[in-house]
Amino acid sequence: MFDAILNCTRLGVTYPDHGKSVRALTDVTFEVHKGEFVAVIGPSGCGKTTLLHVLAGLLPPTSGSVERNIELEGRPRTAMVFQENSVFPWMTVLQNAAFGLEMRRVPRAERERQAMAMLERFGLAGRERDYPGELSTGMKARVAVIRAFLSGAPVLLMDEPFAALDRQRRIMAQQELEELWESQRKTVVFVTHDVDEAIQLSDRVVVLSASPGTVLAEYKVPMTRPRTLLWERDDEAFALKRRIFELLQLAPLELSASCSQ
Amino acid sequence: MNNAISFARASWLVALILVAWQTLVGFRLLDPLFFPPPADLLSTLVSLVKSGEAGRQIAMTLSRTGVAFGLGVLWGAAASAVLALSATLRRAAQPLIAALYSTPRLTLLPMVMLLLGVNDLSRVFLVALGTALLMTIQISDAIRGVNKDYVDLAVNYGASRATVIRKVYLYACLPQIFTALRLSFSRALVLTISVELLNCDDGLGSMIWTAWQTFAIEKLYVSIAITATLGLFFQWLFQRLEERIAPWKEKTT
Repeated sequence: MFDAILNCTRLGVTYPDHGKSVRALTDVTFEVHKGEFVAVIGPSGCGKTTLLHVLAGLLPPTSGSVERNIELEGRPRTAMVFQENSVFPWMTVLQNAAFGLEMRRVPRAERERQAMAMLERFGLAGRERDYPGELSTGMKARVAVIRAFLSGAPVLLMDEPFAALDRQRRIMAQQELEELWESQRKTVVFVTHDVDEAIQLSDRVVVLSASPGTVLAEYKVPMTRPRTLLWERDDEAFALKRRIFELLQLAPLELSASCSQ
Repeated sequence: MNNAISFARASWLVALILVAWQTLVGFRLLDPLFFPPPADLLSTLVSLVKSGEAGRQIAMTLSRTGVAFGLGVLWGAAASAVLALSATLRRAAQPLIAALYSTPRLTLLPMVMLLLGVNDLSRVFLVALGTALLMTIQISDAIRGVNKDYVDLAVNYGASRATVIRKVYLYACLPQIFTALRLSFSRALVLTISVELLNCDDGLGSMIWTAWQTFAIEKLYVSIAITATLGLFFQWLFQRLEERIAPWKEKTT
């Protein structure tokens, strides 16, 4: 497609590990369009994190190619959010949130103004001078997501940013992310191992297999936005969830059979 | 109030020992010739302070330690920066550093004196070498331990190599650098006093040795107590400094 902002073609990554070479990814082909929210889902060890590093340009692919059609105007091309170590422990909440702006040499007053506005919007007002060690896991994840959106990068790469949160906090974080994304329409590649999370958030789900990771299937999520939390009542969306479960062999056959009645 | 409580918690054992000591000597259960009672030691201390001898010896030892420590820290920081940038040099220097590290520094004194002369230059050089060794090992270790995620994050957000060093490596290493400074300083102080004890006309080490040679037992005890107190004071000082310079450290779980 002409508006593909990320384009992976037969991507493969092999890296040496204690003298042996380990294939993390093989023959991965998919594209991400501008403004699209794509979830990448797969079992652990399917090379999801490796894939994000390749998309971020931090790791060159061993074979195949990755095209990143991102025009640069003194901005980072991609902004990453990790599950752990996603914020710098030695920077305050405000400094962390404004880090992307700082790297773009936005003057201090301006970047702090923008970061404060975002922190206030997401319930972190009053915590801006705290260090991450004083925050809950959920707040840290929020700061990391805010930093990514503020960075000006057109593509956001998120590596299970909410995996460490309990179910309730994860739902809140997902709603905030959806709201932010609705207001800014950045391109997002969101890696997760949670099928519900993938369907809840994304326009399209890319399913990877385990070691070495390769694309098993791609599905469009058949739901309009804004989405309800009770999307499982939607027949099409629920059918998609079942298909992905089967593909990842998460559900025993009997369960799938009883579900289809 | 809290300070008073924590002071009491940390000092009751010392106070108890001093009281027991004084009492045992008072009942002649300890020979005052070998164990001069604390009250006498206190008056010896007062006279040493009044005569200016204590101050002069402390100043000599601290100036040697200070100069050597300062030079050693710069030397160690420069060495670890070079080693961090060049893997070739790192591999080549590793056995040398390990060999030097496992040699007691004091044994190098004769060789250093042979090359630099029997003077303060060789004393300071030896202590600086000891500091530089420990700092190099600790800083290199800290640099190796920096989580790659933070480096990836910074690079991903458009940080240059210089920015990554300044904003990630430096801060990530800062707590460990401070621990290294604290350790190195107390080692430097110990080494300076040892060198003075072996071969020097002034400083606390020489004061201790002279007291022993002239059988001035009270002076011997007092100079050891001064040495111990100095060490304690600098440990405390470096800890306070660390809390101010790396405030996130205790708050990280």
